[in-house]
Amino acid sequence: MSDMPAAISSDVIRGYNDTMILYILKQAPSYGYEISKKIRSISDEKYVIKETTLYSAFSRMEKNGYIESWEETAEGSGKKRTYYRISEEGRRYYKEKCAEWELTRDVVERFIEAV
Amino acid sequence: METIRNYLEAMFANMPRTAEVEKAKRELLQMMEDKYNELLAEGKSENEAVGTVISEFGNLEDLAEALGLEDELAKEHELTEREPRRMLILDEVKDYLQFCGARAAGVALSVALFILSVTGPILFSSLHLPEGIGVVLMFILIIMGVCFLVLLGIRGNRWSYIRKELCAIDYATANYVRQEKQRYQSSFALQLILGIILCASCWLPFLLFEKVGAAGELVATLQLFLMVAAGVFLIIHSSMIKGSFDVILKLNDVETISGSYREGAVPEYASPAAERLMSVYWVTVRDIYLILSFVTFSWGTTWVIWPLAGIIYAILSSAMKDKEGSHEHE
Repeated sequence: MSDMPAAISSDVIRGYNDTMILYILKQAPSYGYEISKKIRSISDEKYVIKETTLYSAFSRMEKNGYIESWEETAEGSGKKRTYYRISEEGRRYYKEKCAEWELTRDVVERFIEAV
Repeated sequence: METIRNYLEAMFANMPRTAEVEKAKRELLQMMEDKYNELLAEGKSENEAVGTVISEFGNLEDLAEALGLEDELAKEHELTEREPRRMLILDEVKDYLQFCGARAAGVALSVALFILSVTGPILFSSLHLPEGIGVVLMFILIIMGVCFLVLLGIRGNRWSYIRKELCAIDYATANYVRQEKQRYQSSFALQLILGIILCASCWLPFLLFEKVGAAGELVATLQLFLMVAAGVFLIIHSSMIKGSFDVILKLNDVETISGSYREGAVPEYASPAAERLMSVYWVTVRDIYLILSFVTFSWGTTWVIWPLAGIIYAILSSAMKDKEGSHEHE
């Protein structure tokens, strides 16, 4: 077992998809594929977010007012894309999630032995 | 990319057709397309790229939650298990369309025979030949026409499930039929216009042959029937073929995403009632013609039904076109 790379538990990470997306949108507005690419590279290819998961997060966060979307035609290809940006509400929510994670990690870590 | 598109359409086929679902589908396609293009740019083969995109796509349950569609999704599962739609494969649809082409030609030909049958007695009586032969000739043509119709009816039985059972087509098949329909459009218009011109100008020979006396009148009469028969053949043939494309495109449930496959197809009728009326139009005309002819036995006059029906068809179908739809094209 020890030489097999550990897989990410989708149950655990689900609660933090929003955090990752908001972190990226905090830097600059972006669109679906670019966001998924950034999540992949920031996580060192350890986490690949599925398209359906990503869209669900967009749709849910937009309803909650954390992000806003608009249609834009890309300069080069002329392709129409949906872009997202973070709202004030979203920034507040992001901070909450960070604090929540700090606490979670602090608690869980006390029970983890080094592998 | 076509494979990805088909995959996504198949995934969404039975989802309810709402603005939210359409939006989700559009955006997922954007993301998949971006990923696909980048994988190709990285030097991956087309197959590898498609494989990666599809394996990383996820599942509908994820989406259903976001779209608030859990109930619909559960209902859909239940429905497809209880009353599964019969999926038509592309080859099956091609075969069916081929049969429709043959049927259109057969029906149009038998109607043309009905009209031409009248010329037998006219020819023999005005040439002072035994009239009995002319009448026999007339019945031979009528019987040939009826035989054609009966044979087509028997051959058509094989396809009766398309109308009777709940069927469905996938996105690729819908695309094929839509393209075929589009391609047929100019041929349809040409045949229809030519047919109407032939029917409407059938009296012209009388003007031309007026001064030639009795012989001229006979030639003009024969020409009149010939023109009407050809005109009616063209009108029936073209409109039946056009109708067969719609039969296929209308199979999917309009409430679901797959119901949108028929959009982008050329003009439709304004109301469902109009559509139903036009779909049984020629069958009704044929039945009226046959019943009237056999009851009154005046085959010499009943043929008039056909050119009249042709002109009425042209007027009705243009009057009941979807006005909103045609405005959008302008």
